[in-house]
Amino acid sequence: MPLAGSYDRLVVALSVVIAVAACYAALDLAGRVAAGKGWSFATWLTCGSLGMGVGIWSMHFTGMLAFSLPVPVSYYWPTVVLSYAVAVVAAALALYVISRKQMSSARAVGSGVVMGCGIAALHYLCMMAMQMAADFRFDFLLVALSAVLAIVFSYSALRLAFYFRDAKEEVAWRKLGSACVMATAICAMHYTGMAAATFMSSGTEPDLSHSVTVSSLGTTGIITVTLLVLGFAILSSIVDRRFHAQALELALTQTKVELARVGRATSLGELAASIAHEINQPIGAVANSASACLRWLAMQPPNLEEARMAAARTVREATRAGEVITRIRALLKNEPPKVERVDLNEVIREVLTLAGNEIEKGRIAVKTALAADAPVVLGDRVQLQQVILNLITNAIAAMALVEIRPRELSIDTAAGGGTLRVSVQDTGVGLGHEDVEQLFRPFFTTKRGGMGMGLSISRSIIEAHRGRLWAASRSGRGAVFQFSLPIADGAA
Amino acid sequence: MSEPEPLVIVIDDDAPTRETLSSLIRSVGLRVELFGSAQEFLKSDRPDAPACLVLDIRLRGIGGLDLQGRLAAANIRIPIIFITGHGDIQMSVRAMKAGAIEFLTKPFRDQDLLDAIYVGLEKDRERRQREAEVAILRERFESLTPGERKVLHLVVSGRLNKQIAAEIGTSEATVKVHRSQLMKKMGAASMADLVRMSETMESSPRTNRSS
Repeated sequence: MPLAGSYDRLVVALSVVIAVAACYAALDLAGRVAAGKGWSFATWLTCGSLGMGVGIWSMHFTGMLAFSLPVPVSYYWPTVVLSYAVAVVAAALALYVISRKQMSSARAVGSGVVMGCGIAALHYLCMMAMQMAADFRFDFLLVALSAVLAIVFSYSALRLAFYFRDAKEEVAWRKLGSACVMATAICAMHYTGMAAATFMSSGTEPDLSHSVTVSSLGTTGIITVTLLVLGFAILSSIVDRRFHAQALELALTQTKVELARVGRATSLGELAASIAHEINQPIGAVANSASACLRWLAMQPPNLEEARMAAARTVREATRAGEVITRIRALLKNEPPKVERVDLNEVIREVLTLAGNEIEKGRIAVKTALAADAPVVLGDRVQLQQVILNLITNAIAAMALVEIRPRELSIDTAAGGGTLRVSVQDTGVGLGHEDVEQLFRPFFTTKRGGMGMGLSISRSIIEAHRGRLWAASRSGRGAVFQFSLPIADGAA
Repeated sequence: MSEPEPLVIVIDDDAPTRETLSSLIRSVGLRVELFGSAQEFLKSDRPDAPACLVLDIRLRGIGGLDLQGRLAAANIRIPIIFITGHGDIQMSVRAMKAGAIEFLTKPFRDQDLLDAIYVGLEKDRERRQREAEVAILRERFESLTPGERKVLHLVVSGRLNKQIAAEIGTSEATVKVHRSQLMKKMGAASMADLVRMSETMESSPRTNRSS
């Protein structure tokens, strides 16, 4: 005669909680396993599968403990251990599949089937471990349904986990939501499996060797340990992710700083001729003024007034040479950015001087319309200089091949609405019809031997200054690059 | 006729460099005129004196090499010394091919610049002399009658009096009269002298005397 079983609602509820926690842990761990390489990958995969195995197994076992029969039930522990082993293998398979770079449909379906069968096996192994004065019969339709549910659940769990594994947020609501969906599927599978069995009193005493009974204290223990294991898994995953993110951010910042410096060096390299000019100009004046001074002194009688003026000029020009070198050194140095008040008009004039030789060589006419009230922005002078230098060298390069129209470089500054807008226009080859935004992507270049970092670096500099940098074509007559920066408070 | 005082013209957009060059050039007793741009220089009056140009390659607006081209196109043959903060080979070749006296890269020795200036002024003096000579010859040539000019062309191309007479349809005696007239008017002492004069006139294009 069939035995009427009943469920302990509290334990059922706890089994659901375990399922949710296990699913959440699985989604979270997937990201860590995927981010790991070598040892870290192996460690996360092993620990992750052991932890997730506990979760899956415990959910089923707790679900069974929630079911009480009017006869005493004990469990044959070797089968129980085997069921746990199956859970670990299924978890390992799941984590491995999720952590791969890509998931093809074939792989997802295949792994879903294997994992689903594993979970179904786990479930029925747990049931087989039951030792009691009763037999069970299965409703094969429901058994089949539970197996299908297990497969469907596994498949969708793999898909969801793959989808969420790289989510940045530490406690993502979407992740929690999908954990709940997955948990519902697991519970449905489990309780369908339970419903598939009809327990019949057999009257024979079971063989209780290697069997354990699970008291309510034991049930509490299993649930507590499981939740602790899953909590620990989630916690360590969060810690590891944050640590990882920090390390990555640090590396990125360092790379950016280094790239910016290389970018400046590259721009300066392009301007080597101009820079040589800029330095040789005052040095030449020093040498010649000193000679002139000697000549005035050597006259009979010496012309002291002229000699004095020549000597004074020598000093002035030597100072000027020093200033030029300081300016260039600042561009090449690896100094931390410092925020100061910067007059962009002055920066533009300086850069134009630096680029003067290239401008002359390229036979380019320069037109400047600089805002008269010279608004001041807050920022790093060297970095802003680099942006303008980059825009100007790009403009010069864009005009190098243009023969049919005058080569004109126009630089305007205009203040308004609390921002200062700088525009650099050329009459060069223009930007074409492609996506203008791609210009700002790293390693995009049209220059022979160019690194393609200039605009990308320039944009990050301007954005770090809370501004915007954008580009537009001038209907086949060149390009215009503009950026805007907030004007410093208290500026004129 | 005393030679007007030579003049050095400096065109550089960098004021301290201009002053330095001015001081250096004045220290050897030469006259200097300074310009900050090629445009300013082009607007100024051309001096009537042997001159040379000290020109920065890199100038705002019209560059040094461009100015060289423009002067050549306008047939203004003033010797040019280029100075530059950074010259590449391409630039110097271009400048020298176009007839520059010297191409100096800063920092240069003052003596190198002064030497180049002396060379330039000497060249310009010679040119002015030659041009003055040509101008005189042209003036004399203008004073010839059409008949005499015809005879002159034929004489310097080596024809005999008889041949000339046949060619222009006149008597040999008339040719002889023309010939002695034109020798006197041109101030030629001999046939060889006359041939040289004719060559000088032909080789020198008409130039702006005031350059």
